[in-house]
Amino acid sequence: MECDRAMRLLPRMIDRALGPWSRFWLTRHVADCAGCAAKLEELRAMQAAVRTNLPFHRAPPGLAARIGAALPREAPPPVARPWFRLPAFTFASTGLVGALAGVALTMLIIGGPNSAQNDVLQSVIGGHIRSLQAEHLTDVLTSDQHTVKPWLSARLDVSPPVTDLKDVGFPLVGGRMDYIAGHPAAVVVYRHAKHVINLFTWASAGRPDQPPRSEVQQGFNIVTWRQNGITYYAVSDVEADQLAKFAGLVQQEG
Amino acid sequence: MAQDDRRRRFELLALPHLDAAYNLARWLAGNQADAEDVVQDAYLRAYRYFDAFAGGNFRVWLLTIVRNSFVTWVKENRSNRMMFVAETPAADTADTEEVMWSSSPRDPEALLMQSIDSQTLGRLMEQLPAEYREVLLLREVEDLSYKEIATVSGTPIGTVMSRLARARLALRKLWLQQAETENAHGV
Repeated sequence: MECDRAMRLLPRMIDRALGPWSRFWLTRHVADCAGCAAKLEELRAMQAAVRTNLPFHRAPPGLAARIGAALPREAPPPVARPWFRLPAFTFASTGLVGALAGVALTMLIIGGPNSAQNDVLQSVIGGHIRSLQAEHLTDVLTSDQHTVKPWLSARLDVSPPVTDLKDVGFPLVGGRMDYIAGHPAAVVVYRHAKHVINLFTWASAGRPDQPPRSEVQQGFNIVTWRQNGITYYAVSDVEADQLAKFAGLVQQEG
Repeated sequence: MAQDDRRRRFELLALPHLDAAYNLARWLAGNQADAEDVVQDAYLRAYRYFDAFAGGNFRVWLLTIVRNSFVTWVKENRSNRMMFVAETPAADTADTEEVMWSSSPRDPEALLMQSIDSQTLGRLMEQLPAEYREVLLLREVEDLSYKEIATVSGTPIGTVMSRLARARLALRKLWLQQAETENAHGV
């Protein structure tokens, strides 16, 4: 009986879709049951192999330009209803309108500092997007942390922690220089599955530490914090909880 | 100009996800030329209905459109036999049905699965029905949640879960067959 239930829950375990109670129960069951443990191991192995080895087809060169040329120049007619239904997004919109109004109001009241922060945020996202578009992800392409770190510190006034987090699912790809809101920034590039994580860092000497804060902007997840005089912005389209995990790992190194 | 601004906002949001859109289309359509047509069609639709995007995850929204463009493209360009939805097994409509993993606990299988090369895996994947490829891609490559996959594929969450289980089971079967063939040939 127990094994029946466990077998049903195993896929949800590897898909991170289990509630804490089921997870707790299943973890204990698997510890005592060799059969279910083997099944879990097999599922995980298969997932890992698919994530690592399945060929990823990148868009052919020229497709972006072709699409750009095909986009209509004149304004499209206003759309009363989408051509297919998207319940989740319609639902989200009601909340979003309120949230946006709130943001607008906050920005009106707070003004200066908030918009400066917003500039940084936009600039960081812009940097992330450029890195994906221009085939200019890295200036120094190596998974060797002992190469990336000196390369960055030789060029910038900041020496961020650079560690290969491959064993915990975030392999190091390389490093790059970028400009964020007009100032140079060191970018450490990681991957998670097929996704790129750009870790933007710059010196903020004398500023107090700040705990990680998560945001969603333009479909990207962002985690930002300040630690030992360095400001960090991690940007990616990996899931929010994975990016938070990544931020936690980097923090341990800083 | 407002129109330039709209276009710039669209490009800023949509272009970073071009690889994800193309990869999905490429795995669904099976070749580059068709995948490019599907993606281009999807981007034009997305641009047209851009005002209907009301926040949330843009990648999920865009992949939903890519998926719908593919379905339309299949209807217009391929015979009914190739229809995306028609391949759904009847049992798949039973949302509550859970797919059981055959209980043959053998650790060597786990080891076996770690040692597949990219080309072989790609070939096995191509043998799966489109809906299995789709759910595996959305889950393992795009790292979407069950709920997000349900949005993209327009199916209830229960169907997503049972379909994913079937897809994994089918891939596992091909995988083991492949390993047996290799052994038989002494590779």
